[in-house]
Amino acid sequence: MRVDAGRIGWSAVQLATQNLGLKRLGVGFLLAGVALQNLGRRQARTLLLLAGVSICSGAVFTGGVLLRSIDSSMAAGFARLGADMLVVPEGALTNITAALLTAEPTDLTFDDSELARLEGIKGVQKVAPQLVFRTDASGYRGGTDSVDVIAFDPARDFTVQPWLEQRLRRPIRKGDIIVGGRRDDALGSELLLFGQPLTVYGKLGKTGVGTHERALFMTFETLAEMRPTMQRMCGEKDPLVPNKLSGALLQLAPGATSRQVRFAILANVPEVKVVSSESMLTSIRQGLAALLNGALALMAIMFVSTALMLSVLFSAIIAERKRELGLLRAMGARRRQIIGMLLTEAGLATALGGIAGVVLGILLMRVYEHSLVYYLDRIGIPFVWLNGWTVGLIGALCIVLTSLTGAVGALYPAWRASGLEPYALMRSEG
Amino acid sequence: MTVSCVDLVKTYATERGDIEAVKGIDFAVRAGEFASIVGRSGSGKSSFLAMIGGLSRPSRGSVRIEDTDIWTLSDDRLADFRNRRIGFVYQFSSLLPTLRIIDNVVLPARLDPTQDAASAYRRARERLDQFALSDYLDAYPSEISAGEQRRAVIARALMNDPALLLADEPTSDLDEVSESEIVEWFFRLKRERPLTLIMVTHNLRLAEQTDRVIHISDGRLVT
Repeated sequence: MRVDAGRIGWSAVQLATQNLGLKRLGVGFLLAGVALQNLGRRQARTLLLLAGVSICSGAVFTGGVLLRSIDSSMAAGFARLGADMLVVPEGALTNITAALLTAEPTDLTFDDSELARLEGIKGVQKVAPQLVFRTDASGYRGGTDSVDVIAFDPARDFTVQPWLEQRLRRPIRKGDIIVGGRRDDALGSELLLFGQPLTVYGKLGKTGVGTHERALFMTFETLAEMRPTMQRMCGEKDPLVPNKLSGALLQLAPGATSRQVRFAILANVPEVKVVSSESMLTSIRQGLAALLNGALALMAIMFVSTALMLSVLFSAIIAERKRELGLLRAMGARRRQIIGMLLTEAGLATALGGIAGVVLGILLMRVYEHSLVYYLDRIGIPFVWLNGWTVGLIGALCIVLTSLTGAVGALYPAWRASGLEPYALMRSEG
Repeated sequence: MTVSCVDLVKTYATERGDIEAVKGIDFAVRAGEFASIVGRSGSGKSSFLAMIGGLSRPSRGSVRIEDTDIWTLSDDRLADFRNRRIGFVYQFSSLLPTLRIIDNVVLPARLDPTQDAASAYRRARERLDQFALSDYLDAYPSEISAGEQRRAVIARALMNDPALLLADEPTSDLDEVSESEIVEWFFRLKRERPLTLIMVTHNLRLAEQTDRVIHISDGRLVT
C-alpha cells in the first residue's frame, strides 16, 4: 500500500489544530500544510531531494565537526601551551607538535647550570626545566610498554600544571605522580614505577599531543629519590645523571621578540638548539589554517552549488504547480503569501534533508571514530573530539544553514512565479 | 453589483508576434443580472472574463466594478478585492488535490486576515451542507465525482459572499446530469442572493436560459 507521508503529516497538523485549539492560526498555517502535503505527494522526488540535501548537509556537518576539532586541538596543543621557545641540546631531534609542551625523550642533555644563564637573558620571563626519559623497563602496570617519564619543577613549570584536570586537594609532593590525559589511573591510587609505589596526584586534560597525553610526570625531587633504582634497572643513561636536563621551556617577557631572544641564547649558551613557535610552529599553524580555510571555502562552494541545484529543482516544481498558484492568487492570496508558501516548502524539505545529513554524519563519525583519530595522529595533526554541546551546536547550525540554502534556492523561482498574473499562471500547462 | 468595461483590449506577445485576443469591448452588466458570454473556442471569451475578474491586466481599457476601477488598484488591494468581492468557477477541476474538501472550501475565508478561522470553518460546513456535500468534509478531491467537485468549487466561490460570480465554462467536462445540476445551482443562487453572474459557455442551449446572451467573435462583441 502506498503511504502518503504528506497526508499523514497534514493529518497530524489537523489533529493538533483541533485538539490544541489552534484554529485561530493564520492562513500561513494552512499554506504550510499545503507545502507539507506537496512534499508527500511526490514521494520519489522528495526522497531524492532529501538525499541530495542530506549528502551536502552531512558532508558539511562532518567536515565542520572535524575541522573545529582540529582547530580546537591546535588551540589546545599550541596556543595554550604557554611556552614561546624550547631550548634543547644541540643535535636533539624535536617533535614540533610537542615542542612547546614538553621536550622530546632523547639521550642528549645539557647541564642544569645553563638555567641560570637562560634566566639571565634579556627578554626571558620564565624558564621551566624538564627532563624526559623514555623507558620500557618501568614496569608500569606490570608491562613492558614504553613509557615517557617527565620530570619538572613545580615552582617553575608553566606547561604541565595548567593542564591538571583532576588533582588531590593538597600541593604536589615527593612520591606523587601526575598521569597524562590518556592514562586511566584513578586519582589517589597507588602505582608502581621501577618497583616504587607512587601516588597518583593528578591527571592532565587531553592536549592532542601524544607525548604529553601518555606521559607520567613527577617532580625533580621524586626523580632524585628514584634515580638509583632507575639507574640500576636501565643502566647509566645520560638523562639519569644528576643535574642534567633534556630541555628548558621559555616564556618570553611582554614586548620581547623571539628572534632577539633566540640570537641572545645562541650567543650566550653553547651547544643548544632553540625551537621557537615563530619558526616551525607558526608554519604548521599557518599550513593547517590554510587547510582549514580551504575546507571552509569548499563547504561554502558546496552550499552555493546546493542552492543552485535547489533553485533549478524548485523552478521545475513551481512550474509544475503554476495552476495551483494561479488558483490561490485568484482567490486572493497575496504575492508574499505565495512566496512564503513556496519558501516554507523548500525550507521544510531541506531542513529534513539537513537533519538526515547530520544524523548520517554522526553515525559515520561514530563508526570511524577510532581510525580517524589514529590516522590524524599519524599524520601529525593533533585531534581531540569536541564536546557534545559544540557538536550539537554545529549540527543545529548546519540544519539552519541547509534550510536557509533551500529557501534561498527557491526564492528566485518563487518570486518569479508569484509575479505572474493569476490568469497566466492558471493557463500554464503545469 | 454592476460591472462595466470600456474599450477593453488584450494583446498577448508570442514568438510569432503579438496576438490581439480581445479587440476593444464595451460592455455592462446590471446588478443582479445573469449574463452569459458565448463564442467559439479562441474567440477571446476567457481572456475577456479574466480581465473583468482582475486576473489578467488589459492591454488597454478599464474595468469598473461598482465604483472601483479595479485595474488602478495595487496588486495587494486587487488581491483583497478578488478575495472579498468576486467568486470564480473554472472550466477545470480547481480544487487543491492535497487539501480536504473542507479546507479547499474554507481557503478564500482563510486568505482574508480579518476573518476568524473557527467561524470560517463553520461557514464552510454550512456551504458544503447547502451543496449536499456534508458527507465529504474530510474527503480529498480525488475521492469524489466530477459533479461533486464542481459543487465544491461553487461552494468555495461563495465562501466570502461575493457580489459577483464569474464562471468560465463551468460545465465543460461534465455529463448531462451533472451539467443540468450545476446550471440549476446557478439559477437557484441567483434567486436566493443579490448576485451578479457572468458565465462563459459554448453551450447555446444553456446560455439561452440566462437573462442576457452576449456573443463574442474574434475578440469583438457581436450584437
